[in-house]
Amino acid sequence: MKFIVSSEILLKKLQLIGGVLNSNNTLPILDDFLFQIKKGELSITASDLETTMVTKISIEAKEDGVIAIPAKLLLDTLKTFPDQPLTFTIDMNNFGIEISSDYGKYKLNGHDGTEFPKTPKLEKPSKIDADASILSNAINKTLFATGNDELRPVMSGVFFEINNDNITFVATDAHKLVKYKRADLKGDKGASFILPKKPLTLLKGILGNVGESVTVEYNETNAMFVFGSTKMQCRLIDGKYPNYNAVIPTENPNSLTVGRNGLLNSIKRVSIFSNKTTHQVRLKMTGSELHISAEDLDFANEANERLTCQYEGEDMEIGFNSRFLIEMLSNLESDDVNIAMSASNRAGILTPCEKNDEAEEVLMLVMPVMLNN
Amino acid sequence: MPNRKILHIDMDAFYASVEQRDNPELIGKPIAVGGNRERGVVAAASYEARKYGVKSAMASSLAYQKCPQLIFIKPRFEAYKEVSKQIREVFEEYTHLVEPLSLDEAYLDVTENNFDIEFAMDVATEIKEKIKAKTGLTASAGISYNKFLAKIASDYNKPDGFYVITPSMAEDFIEKLPIEKFFGVGKVTAKKMHLKGIFRGKDLKKKTELQLTRWFGKSGKYYYNIVRGIDNRLVNPNRIRKSLGAERTYEKDITTKEEMILNIDSIADILIKRIKNSGGAGKSLTLKVKYGDFKQITRSKTLQEILSDADIKKVAIQLLELIPNIEKGIRLIGLQTANFEQENNDTFLGQLQFEF
Repeated sequence: MKFIVSSEILLKKLQLIGGVLNSNNTLPILDDFLFQIKKGELSITASDLETTMVTKISIEAKEDGVIAIPAKLLLDTLKTFPDQPLTFTIDMNNFGIEISSDYGKYKLNGHDGTEFPKTPKLEKPSKIDADASILSNAINKTLFATGNDELRPVMSGVFFEINNDNITFVATDAHKLVKYKRADLKGDKGASFILPKKPLTLLKGILGNVGESVTVEYNETNAMFVFGSTKMQCRLIDGKYPNYNAVIPTENPNSLTVGRNGLLNSIKRVSIFSNKTTHQVRLKMTGSELHISAEDLDFANEANERLTCQYEGEDMEIGFNSRFLIEMLSNLESDDVNIAMSASNRAGILTPCEKNDEAEEVLMLVMPVMLNN
Repeated sequence: MPNRKILHIDMDAFYASVEQRDNPELIGKPIAVGGNRERGVVAAASYEARKYGVKSAMASSLAYQKCPQLIFIKPRFEAYKEVSKQIREVFEEYTHLVEPLSLDEAYLDVTENNFDIEFAMDVATEIKEKIKAKTGLTASAGISYNKFLAKIASDYNKPDGFYVITPSMAEDFIEKLPIEKFFGVGKVTAKKMHLKGIFRGKDLKKKTELQLTRWFGKSGKYYYNIVRGIDNRLVNPNRIRKSLGAERTYEKDITTKEEMILNIDSIADILIKRIKNSGGAGKSLTLKVKYGDFKQITRSKTLQEILSDADIKKVAIQLLELIPNIEKGIRLIGLQTANFEQENNDTFLGQLQFEF
């Protein structure tokens, strides 16, 4: 088997799907890219069994065939070339690969491509069409709030709740929660699934640069994202997503409105002085003043700042993990934010005051850290 | 904090006593559990052996030099666990506030106990008697108003000891106490303290909180408090583990990388099994290596995520690359995982969760 391909195009394609590769695979062939040639079209596959990505390029080739090529070696080689045509010659008897460039020849051993695990076909899928930038935005807004608890695998992914007139994306680690709703996305029928972190992280990196539309196909067990000449198929997380609406408090008499950047920067500074394990900062609201403080008793460190704010409700004090607040505030774009609260042991609801985009609705929820005083 | 009644119960020469109980021929003889004449460390020594200066954690070869008639015995952990279970049952009869420190040692908060016994001394006496009746072994009990003092008290007149440190005695007692006896002060800290002129409690007490924090970081505040008899640590029945490890001492020094890889692999297997039993690994792995000359080095790596079984083996081998001079001979290899998931810790530190 023999084919000719531009080194730059090939490298771009490999980098696009290479994120799927795991560093330690139980199945050695998963360290390889699978190259399949059919009628002058090369499709390249990378897989970790859970997630599989396939991308296509047209090439010059006389015959069809399959070969698995060690990914790291190939990527390392391609990175060193300025753009030029490369000729791959493959001996199908021993899977020896020879690459010829303008500079010379390189030999490496491939593996039998027929041994590469097959991706199951997506049976009876439902379909959603979405704008790549909208989907990418939804992932960006939610992914950070997912959990790592192996005992609660459902919370390690993002929940997609599909309706006739909107799609809601939800992520939580039981301490913080993000609900991101898009009125400009819809499915043809109500459905939901939980997408794992890894494919989402990969999509986050890719979709931002795609600038086209994405088709999402899904059934009970798998989802597939198709954009341009690339597709990604992944296994969904099995299980029931927690009833997130039930934990969003409805009675929140205390309402704090404050400039987002001012609050974010203040928390960033103050949190440096917080306890290194709890990362706790204290918000104290009195009249139109917000007092932000942190202390680390072990080192006698402490910090105090004051911000002007609009506050309606009774004076109160509440503690939060500053890392959570920083992540959440950084993930919003509005000038002002509102934090609605009821008591120092109940969740605070963080929402932007102005909409960045008419079609989006974002709500963040964070559980407090109990103050010990 | 109201006046508490804390017991520290510690079995006397635990492993060695179990061996002597189960094999009467050993009674009255110097024995060491663990190791042999050439290798390993003494896990426990009988009181007869301690007279010769044999101590637990001492290299067996040194122990043998100190006491040539020392009898080495292979440890039988199953037997010790059985006894440990029995004594824990005795503790649980009195209170659910039992914090086991190891198989043979525990703190009990008996301020309120199941029999409404008013005096902690009476609880301690009963517990000692019950342990003796059930297991045929003796324990030492320390009684005081916090953990630090209770532990010191149990050590005060071992074996079969019984000692109370009352609030009025505490100050005098702590001032006279050599700093090596302070819980949390190991060899290294002790040396550091000696350099600062701190040898006994009274020397430590002269230092300001600021000085101690500057010298010893977080622990400085702890030292400042305990030397004043202040220790508010609660008896915590669900103590969370901070690290988990496995190690082996070898009959003959290891000198090649190939042998290291094989042995690291089998220690990793033991560690993985322990992780399975205890319910989780951490994010960091430490490889400990002790050379033939007892010089010890460690190399660690911390990952973003919790270590998987495969990670443990992979990282262990990566760490091995950082170990120099294998050919000099290595007598001990250990692996330890620590840095357990933050999320779980948050829960204990006041971070509230959604009720899903």
